[in-house]
Amino acid sequence: MAYFVDRNVKMTWWERSYIPEILRGMMITSRHFFKNLFGFVPFFLGKKKDREIFTVYYPEETMQFPIAYRGRPVLALNEDNLPNCVACGLCEIACPAYCIDIIPGENSGKQNKVERYPVKFTIDYAVCIFCGFCEEACPEEAIFMSDQYDITMLDRKKMKYDMEQLLVPVSELKDRMDFCRKMYGKWNY
Amino acid sequence: MWIDLAITMVKIIFILTVTVGFFAPVLTWVERKQSAIMQDRIGANRADIMGFTALGLFHIIADALKMFTKEDFIPQGANRALHTLSPIVALVPAILTFAVVPFGGQYTLWGKEVNLVISDLDVGLLFVFAISSIATYGYVVAGWSSNNNWSLLGAMRTASQMISYEVTMGLTIIGVLMAFGSMQLTVIGAAQENYYWGIVMQPLGFLMFFTAAIAENKRVPFDAPEAESELVAGYFTEYSGLKFGMFFMAEFIEMVTIGAIMTILFFGAWHIPFLTTATLLSMFDFLGDSGANLVVMLIHVGVFFGKVTFFIFVQMIIRWTLPRFRYDQIMKLGWKILLPASLLNIVGTGAFILWW
Repeated sequence: MAYFVDRNVKMTWWERSYIPEILRGMMITSRHFFKNLFGFVPFFLGKKKDREIFTVYYPEETMQFPIAYRGRPVLALNEDNLPNCVACGLCEIACPAYCIDIIPGENSGKQNKVERYPVKFTIDYAVCIFCGFCEEACPEEAIFMSDQYDITMLDRKKMKYDMEQLLVPVSELKDRMDFCRKMYGKWNY
Repeated sequence: MWIDLAITMVKIIFILTVTVGFFAPVLTWVERKQSAIMQDRIGANRADIMGFTALGLFHIIADALKMFTKEDFIPQGANRALHTLSPIVALVPAILTFAVVPFGGQYTLWGKEVNLVISDLDVGLLFVFAISSIATYGYVVAGWSSNNNWSLLGAMRTASQMISYEVTMGLTIIGVLMAFGSMQLTVIGAAQENYYWGIVMQPLGFLMFFTAAIAENKRVPFDAPEAESELVAGYFTEYSGLKFGMFFMAEFIEMVTIGAIMTILFFGAWHIPFLTTATLLSMFDFLGDSGANLVVMLIHVGVFFGKVTFFIFVQMIIRWTLPRFRYDQIMKLGWKILLPASLLNIVGTGAFILWW
């Protein structure tokens, strides 16, 4: 036998008779139904569909994410076609998942303007947790979180991206760079 | 004699085509699509043939193919014979009730009386209830023979719920019988020719019948027997492949049955309000006697299935609007509210007939 729980709900006689409230609920669902059903009609007249549907057809369309979204981390390629990275290893230390692997080398004069450069820079996306700590730790504005999130492979070894796959021109990262300066600049690193 | 047989065969094939061939598969699509549109989603639309999706209608074919090719699984410790038999016991009564459901009146076509019902039984209404309650055995046996706790609980809930609401349903029907004075579904249908619809005579009876009918069909808000969040899938947890498909089909065909019975008892069967058959016949007088009869027959069949479709639509809206009742709420509604109300309905109808 079910025991009685006093939920402190005061219902009027009208609400307790149940049927009018059922009809009200059905009115709401049918209103949505007919609005979305006949929202197709303007589409055939060459106008925008008048519907409340916000489903995204995923592989064909993708959403425009807000700039604060953290996708896969990428390396910035500056205007001189050289990576911003100076192989200091701060991101490697900051990474909580140990997915970044850097092998630094001494600059012979053509790779970079400073004395160190990354000989090898790999990020294993199978391990990466998209936390954004690397971006926060970077003193040279060399690593940024992009808005790409759909990295899928059939082979786990292919998830390990090397330098060539990671580099993205800095012009594509403009917005994120501004966001980072605003965000991390206020703590005055 | 041969012509009678041929007419009966045509009627049987028509009914089977409409229920099993059209309504049951299309309703699977309608339910998914309607719920999606109602909840501001898009719904099934990915199955395509050569790039055509046809609003997701090909999902019907995809579903059928999937069910045909799936492994037919019988769990360990299950009663193999009963486990195989119960989907049949559930499905066959659902189709069989259509034997007495009239989908049109009587017409004279080229000197031949055509009565649009497969078997015009004197006790048609009783037949419907007798046959549809056999389906309960299918569900209970399915739950018991699966050797699974969820299935058994679902079966127990099915049994208690079906028995409780069958009482209400039967008593509600008594009011209709008193109003029309017959159990023959064709007679009840023909009596509502003008605007003397069942809903006018039995408004309370209609509400109670509708509630009990949804409970009989075990759809939301009365879906405690198959409650997904509590019992996995209730009595058909252990079914796969086409056996599961048969349970699924039985549910959708029962929806059509409920729509048809409700149309016949309360919503003027195949008649259009304020347009009697005689008026319709005189409107198509220029086609000759048989031609006019044929046109009127087609109109009536169309009107009947239009009404049935409307009631299926209403059932779907209810399914996607209301949350599930708790088990004790179902029992309380059945025994403490609907049963006394249906008894009062009988008394009221009797008093009305006696003093007016």
